Amino acid sequence: MLTTAPHLYIRRPSPTTAEFTVTTCPPLTLPLRLALLALSTLRLSLAATVLFALYTRFITPPTPTTSPTSTNHHPPFPPHPSPSSPAAYLTPAHLTALLHVLTASAPGQHLARLTAPLPPWLLSAVSGALLYFALLWRLHTTESLLVLRGLGIQTATTAAGGALWGGGGLWGWVVGFGGPATRFIPTEKIRDVLINEAFQGFEVRYYLVVVVDGEDDVVVVFPRLLPGRRIVETVWRGVRGCLYEAPPEGGYGYDGQWKRG
Amino acid sequence: MHPFSILTLGIFVAGYITARWDLVTRLCELAIFAWDYGVVTRAAKAFLALTLVFLCIFIPVERLATREGYLHDALMRVFWPTDLPRSDLRGVVVGWRNSALDVFVLAILDEVEPRNVESALQLGTLTRNAPHPVSRIYEVCGQSSMRVLGLSNTPESVEVDPSWIRVTTESGRRVPAVTCARASSIQIILFERPLPSQMQYISLNPIALALGDKKGTFLQDSPDSGEDDDEKDERQKKAKRRQLVEKLKQHSVIKRVPSAKEKALAKIVNQINWAWELEKLLQSNVSRIGTRPKRSLSVSERVVESATTARDIMLVWIWDLFTVYILPVIQRIFILGLMGHRIFAEMLLRLLEWRARPKYAALKDISATAQQVEIRLQQFCYWPMQYVTLRLRKNDWGSVTTSHPDYIRFYNSLWLVANDVIIGIALGSYIIDNANWVAEEISQLLSSYTVDALQSSISWLMGWPAGLKLNSELAIFLGDLFLWVIDYWSSCIEALRPALPNIIWFIGFSSFAGASMPIALFSDLTSILTIHIYSFYLASARIYHWQLNILISLFHLFRGKKHNVLRNRIDSCDYDLDQLLVGTILFTLLFFLLPTVVVFYLNFAIARMAIISLKAVFDTMLSCLNHFPLFAIMLRVKDPRRLPGGIRFELRDTQDFRLAINDSPKKLPSTSVIYLKSIPLNFKAMFYQYFQMGNRIRKHYLSPEVVLCLLTGKFVPPLNRKNLYSLQYSMLPARRAGVMEMWDAVNSLPSPKRRVAPVYVPVLANGKRYPNNYGGGRLRSYG
Repeated sequence: MLTTAPHLYIRRPSPTTAEFTVTTCPPLTLPLRLALLALSTLRLSLAATVLFALYTRFITPPTPTTSPTSTNHHPPFPPHPSPSSPAAYLTPAHLTALLHVLTASAPGQHLARLTAPLPPWLLSAVSGALLYFALLWRLHTTESLLVLRGLGIQTATTAAGGALWGGGGLWGWVVGFGGPATRFIPTEKIRDVLINEAFQGFEVRYYLVVVVDGEDDVVVVFPRLLPGRRIVETVWRGVRGCLYEAPPEGGYGYDGQWKRG
Repeated sequence: MHPFSILTLGIFVAGYITARWDLVTRLCELAIFAWDYGVVTRAAKAFLALTLVFLCIFIPVERLATREGYLHDALMRVFWPTDLPRSDLRGVVVGWRNSALDVFVLAILDEVEPRNVESALQLGTLTRNAPHPVSRIYEVCGQSSMRVLGLSNTPESVEVDPSWIRVTTESGRRVPAVTCARASSIQIILFERPLPSQMQYISLNPIALALGDKKGTFLQDSPDSGEDDDEKDERQKKAKRRQLVEKLKQHSVIKRVPSAKEKALAKIVNQINWAWELEKLLQSNVSRIGTRPKRSLSVSERVVESATTARDIMLVWIWDLFTVYILPVIQRIFILGLMGHRIFAEMLLRLLEWRARPKYAALKDISATAQQVEIRLQQFCYWPMQYVTLRLRKNDWGSVTTSHPDYIRFYNSLWLVANDVIIGIALGSYIIDNANWVAEEISQLLSSYTVDALQSSISWLMGWPAGLKLNSELAIFLGDLFLWVIDYWSSCIEALRPALPNIIWFIGFSSFAGASMPIALFSDLTSILTIHIYSFYLASARIYHWQLNILISLFHLFRGKKHNVLRNRIDSCDYDLDQLLVGTILFTLLFFLLPTVVVFYLNFAIARMAIISLKAVFDTMLSCLNHFPLFAIMLRVKDPRRLPGGIRFELRDTQDFRLAINDSPKKLPSTSVIYLKSIPLNFKAMFYQYFQMGNRIRKHYLSPEVVLCLLTGKFVPPLNRKNLYSLQYSMLPARRAGVMEMWDAVNSLPSPKRRVAPVYVPVLANGKRYPNNYGGGRLRSYG
């Protein structure tokens, strides 16, 4: 429901510049927006829970054989009285008090009891995996091709799934390595833009390649999604019409009607 | 015309007419005849018709043609710095014109006349007081001169050249509105200028952290040694792929000739790198445009001037004293010390690189210590050359970016050596203080792991290990053999034990030359002290291999076949009965003895693998200490724009852009707003050498051939040191500079600039001063 088959968006502010985006993200309707919002809230709360579980594990003394009743009788910290003055929100003292209250509360105790039998290495591994999923996992794959007349072609890929470097996601935003992986090819180096076909299993895939001068390999456009032939053909026509200044006689070119794929 | 010649001409005409009077009368008659028969009216009608045709058809067609000529390929490209100061004042846009419709904006000069700016640019007034030669700008930016590109914030009524652009910049809006009479569509490419003073720059290709001049030499060194099978494999794969791509390239029928705009990209990258410095230069000279007011200094200004001049003269005098008398002496002594060191290093390097025969291994190929010493010496030899290159950088504009990778390499290696020495001092002082304890520990480790553990495992193998019923006679024979050698070896180690504290003390002392020295020494020490395991491994592998070979050939005999060496194939063969009998008996015998040999072989093979992995750990530590891209990572975190990894473009939505312009009365051409950004170098490229080394090791040791070798008892060839350590040499030149070259280079350094007493240039402005707050703030004040 949250993802669809890859489809094409075209953005073309002037006839000499065009961006073709193939994405698995469906059109952002209100229900979808709400669902995505709920999902990200869920993920954030999951991350917060994991961090909180680690915190409770950190502050509990390493006595794995204590019965739950004894922990109830001796909570690690006596619950602070919550600060009465409303102006003291978001101060460190208030936050620590809030943490103590949370630790002493029933869900906190339950979480502590849940994580208590796990050995430390297993706990850290599980929480690491959960954090990775919560913060780094991306839902949609978006790949785009930007064509600038007189400058060149740029491919960009933001892949779904986890990414440590060079991806987007929350982590990418935090560390500053956000943004898609891009590759720019100057027009001077472009030998040709072709649609190639390949066998994959028992089907034929059509894909767009850029043949670059002086390189041993071709650059595949939309390498992750490999959209169908209709989209690829639309993009190919668009690229041919947009990239070069004077299309050859009677050849391919921008025919005035581009449809959304 | 001269009056006299007019007179002459008149006399001539009059004379001609009188001489040929009959011709004149004929002409008169002809005119009267034409008038009588309506020739004149008909001619007038024809003229009228032609005029009409001309007016109605030809002029519009010509107009249309010129318009079309302008509009054809009427894509205008404007490069615009985003951090250009915005103001509402009228100004002149100055920059580079790369081709007719491809402009690069450098600066907006406020409140000046375009005509004056044009003449000032031609005379070079705007580039006066440049710190470095001006011709260098034009050479690098690929243009012969800067031009006036257009006007900013000018009302529509002002008539301008059709190729000029009109720009509306207001302090409130991010993207300027650009129009041009000739352009039908416009690409505005916005970029943020890199600051040359902070060594930021952009480039099309990723910055090279390693020196890339010895790809070829490594390949030439070992073109067809048996070692690089995997290399060859890889090369073949690459060649195959290249062939496929070549085939694909033949599909494109039309070879396009790139237009001027497309070819300009490399130039434009340079222009972007220069933009900041050039704008500063232009803005500092704005005050020179126009006429100078004639005014002498006032009395108070003169007093201030003479006071500052006196202070400056004192400073210059002291500086002169220092540079003339003291500095050269210090420099001389330093250079002589450096040369002495260089000569000593040369001798040592010759020794380390000496080979008895070209095919033999040199000292540095065998020992990690020798290699470490060699790397350090090579670095010491390379540093002065690098320093000279970097010093020469100061004599050029800051925007010349060719030496920035050198800078990063130089400081990276300096920092690594400093780090190495710091860690080494800590480690060394610890080792020296606790030499006895460390020696005790090491001898303990040695005896427990290389002697006792081996002995116990051999005796375990001798007595039916894990319930396996081995052949006890053979097991006892082999075990006794190995135990006897181990006994002998342990007595050798016992003899070494008293000397161990001294060795440890020496190692600790050596670590003042860097923590990499003790690591290399420990690595060598490990190989020396475990030589018995190596020989056991060799011996048992040999025995196992022989036995396996014999078993295979006897198995062929058992089936009535044999291996034909001449044809390299299996042929059938008629054996006699006794041959078959003896062969079968031997086969059975050897087959039942095989497990005993296998367990001994496995034991030593595992021990050998453990030692190899220990040495791999040492080598990894060494390569981290020697070549970790520390400086690059620091730069990547601190200022990613100093490590460019290419460029990327971002297409912005033009909706808000258009909305903002709606209030202006005229219609804008279709515009796309594009941001040009620099991609910082990614981590994969930073650690490229490490990845390559890891790949090589993985391919070599985890390949099926190696597993096969291990299973059949063949000797596993160690990875060629030269291949493994191409990483170590990635930051050193393939050929080190000779002693004389270094002498020349060091002496070619320019002497420090003599400070000249500053000449006071009065601010002869056209009513304006260069703003004081320039550079920091974006808005300017005019005083």
